Amino acid sequence: MTPATEPRNPARTLPDLCVRCATCMAVCPVARVTPRFPGPKQAGPGAQRFRSAAEASVDDWIELCTACRLCDTACPAGVPISELNLLAKAKFLDERGRGLRDWLLVRSDLFGELAARYSRFVNPLLQNRTVRWLLDRTLAIDRRRMLPPYEYPTFRKWFADRQAPESAGRPRIAYFHGCFTNTNEVDVGKAAVALLEAAGFTVTVPPQRCCGIPRLGVGDLRGAREMGQRNLSLLLPTVREGTDLVFSSTSCGMMLRHEYGPLLNLPGAQELAVRLFDICEFLVRRQEENDAAVRFKPLPRKVAYFTPCHLRALNIGLPALELLRLVPGVEVAMLDTECCGLGGLYGFRKEKYPISEEIGKGLKKEVGRLDPDTIVTDCEGCRMQLRALTGREVLHPVQLLRDALAEG
Amino acid sequence: MKRWDLIVIGTGLAGLTAARTAAEAGARVLVVGRGIGSLALFGNSIDVLGEVPPGVNLDAGVSDWIGTHPGHPYARTGWEGIAEALVAFQELFPSPYRFVAAGLTNSLVPTGTGTLRPTYLLPITMRAGAGLVAEETLVVGFRGFKDFQGDTVSLHLKCRGVNISLPRYGLEGLTALALARLMDEEPFRKSLGEAIRGQKAGEKRIGLPAILGLCDPAAVLEDLEGVIGARVFEIPMLPPSIPGLRIFNRFRERLIAKGATFLMGNPVTGVTVKGGRCEGIRVCNPPLETEYRAEQYILATGRFLGGGLWAEMDRIVEPVFHLPVSQPAGRGDWFRERFFQPEAHPIHAAGIATDRSLRPSGEGGAPLLTNVRVAGSILANHQSIEEHSREGIAIATGYRAAQEALKA
Ligand code: SF4
Ligand code: SF4
Repeated sequence: MTPATEPRNPARTLPDLCVRCATCMAVCPVARVTPRFPGPKQAGPGAQRFRSAAEASVDDWIELCTACRLCDTACPAGVPISELNLLAKAKFLDERGRGLRDWLLVRSDLFGELAARYSRFVNPLLQNRTVRWLLDRTLAIDRRRMLPPYEYPTFRKWFADRQAPESAGRPRIAYFHGCFTNTNEVDVGKAAVALLEAAGFTVTVPPQRCCGIPRLGVGDLRGAREMGQRNLSLLLPTVREGTDLVFSSTSCGMMLRHEYGPLLNLPGAQELAVRLFDICEFLVRRQEENDAAVRFKPLPRKVAYFTPCHLRALNIGLPALELLRLVPGVEVAMLDTECCGLGGLYGFRKEKYPISEEIGKGLKKEVGRLDPDTIVTDCEGCRMQLRALTGREVLHPVQLLRDALAEG
Repeated sequence: MKRWDLIVIGTGLAGLTAARTAAEAGARVLVVGRGIGSLALFGNSIDVLGEVPPGVNLDAGVSDWIGTHPGHPYARTGWEGIAEALVAFQELFPSPYRFVAAGLTNSLVPTGTGTLRPTYLLPITMRAGAGLVAEETLVVGFRGFKDFQGDTVSLHLKCRGVNISLPRYGLEGLTALALARLMDEEPFRKSLGEAIRGQKAGEKRIGLPAILGLCDPAAVLEDLEGVIGARVFEIPMLPPSIPGLRIFNRFRERLIAKGATFLMGNPVTGVTVKGGRCEGIRVCNPPLETEYRAEQYILATGRFLGGGLWAEMDRIVEPVFHLPVSQPAGRGDWFRERFFQPEAHPIHAAGIATDRSLRPSGEGGAPLLTNVRVAGSILANHQSIEEHSREGIAIATGYRAAQEALKA
């Protein structure tokens, strides 16, 4: 990959690129379940024509956009619809103000380590009906939404404490685990490390912070920039010494790769982006180039694969699917319904929970029809939603691939 | 770096047909689309050549037409080529949601403005609209649904029309997609059927906007016909097109099952050409520009709406390969005097001229690029709007382009 040579088109944010074809209306998951959201065509370029920096925002429905970016992938005219929505949301919320709930939700990275340390006490509380009722009442965090339990030791602690394998002469690869892997889904990180080591690498875990995408979710561009800046100063030394960086969380990856530069305009974003890869994208490439690539043993399993929206936005195809197909015995069916409906923290909010649930309904039906042994998807948000919708086992592709690693 | 056998640029019907043809022949295919493609706009039924009057056999009619239009894209495939490609298309839609013709001849079906339009293959959800008798037909619209004006349709068809509402479901303000999703649910369509039955006054055929479900349209049709006690048909409406999305989804599903990779949402920003061969294309997802390489390429980027052709002040250009565009001498010759008049506007015949193997050709007919082929509406010398030949050209040339590319 090379950096785009052409300068950013200044017309990008102009609504006049829109030809009013309504293609985006065919894919927006929110517009199809609620008439309260006018849909990408109207919310993005349509309303943009009437917006002015000097006037107060009247877009009180703009918060209903989940920032899934599916509209961007469908539009034939290259209108940056979700970016227009995001900027409008930022203005609306800057003016209206953000509540305590948003303040807390976007800072889950700060208390995550602590919650993990005391997960023995925290987890029962998160399941406790009275606590959930209180959260629902006081913070409008919907009590029907399953809150993911914390795990200890965290991924970072596990990684630091473990007996690292013999690694002399092996190329290095850095891993961006993201908050959720660190404190809530440690096994994803373990599996990522196992796969990368099986592919012949020495894995390093550079210091890192939350990517900042939760801040974007509440239109807090300044907060997102701060997170971005901090991460860049932590990660750039690694890529500058020539080490590639992989991520296992689709949304963190999208944020690091495509929002730090084009949206947040952070210095150094480009340098990071060219060395940053989705873990499966990276492994597929390795597989293509290297004869001594990872080998898999048979693993008879009926798998349903779900494509996260942000994977579509990364626009790298379906590398996890390509890898899963290399495992003898794995039978993959596609869950090709667009959008699971969680939308990150969107689905935790009481007023948006019904929309989130309604969007996911089709997916739940599809899972029932396919009746797989395991559901696999790259994004933790989708995994949370799929678990809540179906009560089934939902894994990151690297977990299944790790289970299929041939010994030796 | 991964090398593909074939890269198809364009996700409309031509590109999808080409990609599927190659993928089913075992080729490694990459499909690149700037957006979801034209099927989401106006894919409804399959026009082949509306100039051939109903009752006249299409094989003879098309062959005669080719005789008098030697530069037409159909002259590259002949009727045999068209017929073979149409059979392949029909095979992609096995029972129950099939595409059928009224024998080997065109049918007249109602449009969203209530006129009649000749077309060839119809999805079974539109079949009962062919050859309708006004006195036997009832057109049903939904109150508050902006994309379908039932009154206009019934007025022009000179049949009875009603607008109904289903208050329990709050139909007002719903999008076409929302309605189609509701139709996929059995209880909804049954109660809609009952409401329609209550409005029926002995009519034998019921026309509805084209929203009869996205997942299982055949079941929707069967249930509605059962409850209403009359035949039901879909009438095309304003974009997005639900029947077109069904076609798109089916192609996408098959392509992914065959191992093809789909990139959607970013434009091709550059190509590398050396010695009359294309060596790679670049796709830009800011801030990254990624190069993809293949042995063969197919350009199926459509016309002005899809971005395949671009009108500058004084001339029409092809922005991907910068191929010469066959076009009227100057801007003054682009349009005729009035917008609506029976003769086609010359600008619509502009496009890319090719040799017999669909390679882009320059003066004198010699191919300009030996491993690039052109398919679909971007081709020169057709008037697909007036001829009613849009889908036929896409399918026949997409199929042929893939065959030629695989032979090479
Ligand atoms: S980003 Fe997603 S939810 Fe928002 S307008 Fe686009 S498609 Fe709809
Ligand atoms: S934003 Fe894009 S897809 Fe939506 S109406 Fe405008 S041009 Fe069409």
